[in-house]
Amino acid sequence: MTTESVTTKAGSTVRIAPGVLAGIGAFAAVGIYVLVSSATLGLWTSLGPGAGMFPFAMGALLVAMSAVWLLQELRRPSVRGEGVDKGVVISVVASLVILASVMDLLGFQLSMFAFLLYHLKIRGRRAWVPSLIIALAGSVGAFYAFNYGLNVALPVSAFTPLNLIGL
Amino acid sequence: METLNELLGGFATAMTWQNLLFAFLGCLLGTIIGVLPGVGPVAGVALLIPLTLNLDPAGSIIMLCAIFYGTQYGGTITSVLLNTPGEASSAITTIDGYAMTKMGRAGAALTLAAVGSFIGGTIATVGLVAAAKPLGEMGLLVGPPEFFALMVVGISLLVALAGKSMVKALISGALGLLISMVGIDPVAGAPRFTFGIDNLMDGVSFVAVIVGVFGLSEILSFRRNEPTPMVHAPGFRQLFPSRTEWRRSAPAMARGTGVGFGLGLIPGMTGSVSSLLSYATEKRFSRFRHQLGKGAVEGVAGPETANNAHANAALIPLFTLGIPASPTIAVLMGAFLQQGLTPGPSLFTEHSEIAWAIIASLFIGNVLLLLLNVPLVGLWTSILRVPTPILTAVILVFMVIGAYTINFSVFDVYVMIGFGLLGLALRNLDIPLAPMVLTLVLGPLMERSLRESLEISQGDFTVFTSRPISAVLIGLGLLIICSPLLKLRKPRALMEDPEA
Repeated sequence: MTTESVTTKAGSTVRIAPGVLAGIGAFAAVGIYVLVSSATLGLWTSLGPGAGMFPFAMGALLVAMSAVWLLQELRRPSVRGEGVDKGVVISVVASLVILASVMDLLGFQLSMFAFLLYHLKIRGRRAWVPSLIIALAGSVGAFYAFNYGLNVALPVSAFTPLNLIGL
Repeated sequence: METLNELLGGFATAMTWQNLLFAFLGCLLGTIIGVLPGVGPVAGVALLIPLTLNLDPAGSIIMLCAIFYGTQYGGTITSVLLNTPGEASSAITTIDGYAMTKMGRAGAALTLAAVGSFIGGTIATVGLVAAAKPLGEMGLLVGPPEFFALMVVGISLLVALAGKSMVKALISGALGLLISMVGIDPVAGAPRFTFGIDNLMDGVSFVAVIVGVFGLSEILSFRRNEPTPMVHAPGFRQLFPSRTEWRRSAPAMARGTGVGFGLGLIPGMTGSVSSLLSYATEKRFSRFRHQLGKGAVEGVAGPETANNAHANAALIPLFTLGIPASPTIAVLMGAFLQQGLTPGPSLFTEHSEIAWAIIASLFIGNVLLLLLNVPLVGLWTSILRVPTPILTAVILVFMVIGAYTINFSVFDVYVMIGFGLLGLALRNLDIPLAPMVLTLVLGPLMERSLRESLEISQGDFTVFTSRPISAVLIGLGLLIICSPLLKLRKPRALMEDPEA
């Protein structure tokens, strides 16, 4: 299911994949940011190591390993695999972000019902009846199972009218 | 005698109907997670933590432990029937398990795997009973320098064995440690890497991170229109191995138990390593080694026994020293901490009743899994017939609930989404995820023991080399990390450890 990169044969003239370069750059940037932030936290106190010492070491490790990785790639670039299905990533992430942003407003049941219906009916192209049954079970069913079965409170709607009807 | 009395007391607690129900539910859910390709034990255990939030500590940990070793049983089913491992430590079983399926011996393979898993798990639990007290007492003598050094060895081993590149494994480990440092510094009280966000003051929720990195990233890497596998469960009569198959399996199970138990004790070793080395052992010592790869029972019985022996033995370092031996155990450790239980030597002095109840439940869980797995194979395979969009939607519901209910905050759902994208990026860059999980949980403990050591020595770093145990352990850790420079190559089989 996951993609994998495979190393090319030595001597091949393949350039470093942009995604790999971006990844190395991102890790190096995080490492540098951590190094700078850690230094301001204080590396050493009169009692011993300060709050910044351990993160500083990790930042240094991150920068060093990014540099070594870059050298490895320059010597022997890796070939990218299939890559991800961008449609799947965008639809799942966007729907999760929308769900998270409306969950406190609409409550768990309504927002999760819409979320599931989107994934089952629109994305999954399932029939209406099973989509509705699963969406109800995963939203209303899960809400009651967690709230009353396990005593784990899932959010209710912030809108009074919806709240009054138990959503 | 005292240990036996405490174990019997543990059985008395574990045998209450509530705890039996929790163990049963845990086994059920664990098997389902094991069967589902894509939801590994790490994410599986993490996303089911909310189910146990309001249970008493004993019930909660009993259920989570049952989920954990239930995954070891469940992963076998898809390996044998579909040539697709449900979880990483069953990957090697596909070779002979699926070959047996093609020979019409799927039922026998599943029964031998379940019996082997039961034997391996039970013997390892006996080992845990025997080792718990003495190792726990020894653990009380371990000071901060030794504790830090022990964690260095554990992380070094995992980094060395994870994936194909140690550089990438070190990046993964460093990322986990950095994430664990977000929040208020426990000593100075200063906020670190919180970016002014109040929700980050208490740190990043490890459940949200793990569910994102392991679970959501797996779903994001699904491809559209993935076909639902066609699977045929063996009938009841086909579940019985022949006398010859039993006879040939027995030595493989014995060897698998030894390999799994031995490696389970070593922090940093994963269940995949145990099953791979068990297979390698069969290739070397089995009388029928020439048949391996063509449907030999030893290729199923050995690795399956090994991964369950490993799973139970890996609880020994957790119970006695407070060190998680694998990513899944690290998640379990997080659950312990959330329940106010600190794994380690103090567990047997402060929460003796709970500790022994959990150990007793391991015996019960192994019996339950044996009873659940073999006769109900048809039920488990029916899960595989559920179309991918439905499975994905249901898993997403649990992920959202899992992330939300840890702190009852939508912020953690965003954290899960963010780490899901990070996990996807790491997968695409071939960066192993296992070191990140281990360091995420061990990070605070590691930093605390390092700082305590240096405060004791007034900033003198030789505190780690002047004490014999920590000096040996630090040396061992350095040797492991420097192994590529020293041209010490790991076994070829371990290069493909999918758990990493």
